Amino acid sequence: MRMRYLSVMPAAVAALSLLALSWTPVSAQEKGKNGEKTPYPGAVRPTKAPPPGPPGPVPHMQDGKPDFSGIWNAQRQLPGDPEPEMLPWAAALTKQRTENYSADDPEARCVPGGVPRATPYHVQMVQTPALLLFLFEGNIHTFRQVFLDRKEHLKITEPLWYGDSIGHWEGDTLVVDTIGFNDKFWFDMAGHPHTTQLEVIERYRRRDFGNLDVEVTIKDPGAYTKPWVQHRVATLETDWDVLEYVCNENNQDPGRLVGDKH
Amino acid sequence: MKNKLALIAGLGLVFAAVPLVAHHSFEAEYDFNKPLNVTGTVTKVEWMNPHARFYVDVKDKDGKVTNWNFELGPVNILLRQGWRKNSLKPGDEVTVEGFLAKDADGLANARKVTLPDGRRVFGGSSADAPKQ
Repeated sequence: MRMRYLSVMPAAVAALSLLALSWTPVSAQEKGKNGEKTPYPGAVRPTKAPPPGPPGPVPHMQDGKPDFSGIWNAQRQLPGDPEPEMLPWAAALTKQRTENYSADDPEARCVPGGVPRATPYHVQMVQTPALLLFLFEGNIHTFRQVFLDRKEHLKITEPLWYGDSIGHWEGDTLVVDTIGFNDKFWFDMAGHPHTTQLEVIERYRRRDFGNLDVEVTIKDPGAYTKPWVQHRVATLETDWDVLEYVCNENNQDPGRLVGDKH
Repeated sequence: MKNKLALIAGLGLVFAAVPLVAHHSFEAEYDFNKPLNVTGTVTKVEWMNPHARFYVDVKDKDGKVTNWNFELGPVNILLRQGWRKNSLKPGDEVTVEGFLAKDADGLANARKVTLPDGRRVFGGSSADAPKQ
């Protein structure tokens, strides 16, 4: 049985008492002491895979295809992928953005994260034979469409935040190809850029009930000298619904994100 | 049965070290080298995204009152941790430990909020965000 957040007040009591016991004092866990610089947030790379999701068989659609429907935790990049190989302008821009503590990240301005940026919050996937929907909890609270009944891309006249996504099956793997992007979003907090030549290929495979493997290939000859491949995993969320996250309701941050310029 | 599930989930939330997330990098706005520790009276709670916030009147040794603006984690994360809008109310006395903003007066990120009886309120801020 799935919990609705309004039904979990006992959890508040438990959390209240146990948080006090489990808390590590601020002074013992923070990094910056005596003026030393903390690591750039965008320069941090994953060191381990997240804990696996619940085991069990893969659910299937009536037509026999794997069913990805469900609420998934944020995609997490796995350790071990090589750094991308960039054109000089893209490498210089990434360095500048990273060393400015990601202060100019569009995500902090409550605009869509684009593709393939991993949204930081839960994602509900809703699958039909013809359409796969991603319902993002947050940042921002919006959706993305993947058309499974169309083999050709639309003719894009206006670049898009999420592009035009079409998907086809290769065995149990759903291969999603997306083009038609604008160049406004960053791939990550490091600030990896792209151009409107971007094509993203995502390969989704539900390994078992609770684990979704995602291989992402970024192709953009305007910014990268060779395709950039990332390996990610999302685990199934079994306790919580997707909640609301209205980023623009009270976003006080943009004027205060000074990065290294203060 | 539902309550039992809820209790188990509450325990899991505490012990599973669920990564907390945010929409901006901590260091773009706040300074780990500028810790803050103040005590005062809550004047307002904003239960909104992208960050919940609360405001605290703090009196200095000369009696001058400053209204501090404290950033918390996002509402969806706080909800999953078990917190609610009324977990902290105007009029509550609180001690807040946090970090000052780099370039704004009276602004800080709250990391530890303690009521007079020792209970902790809220947790999670952009400093705990996974860097991706």
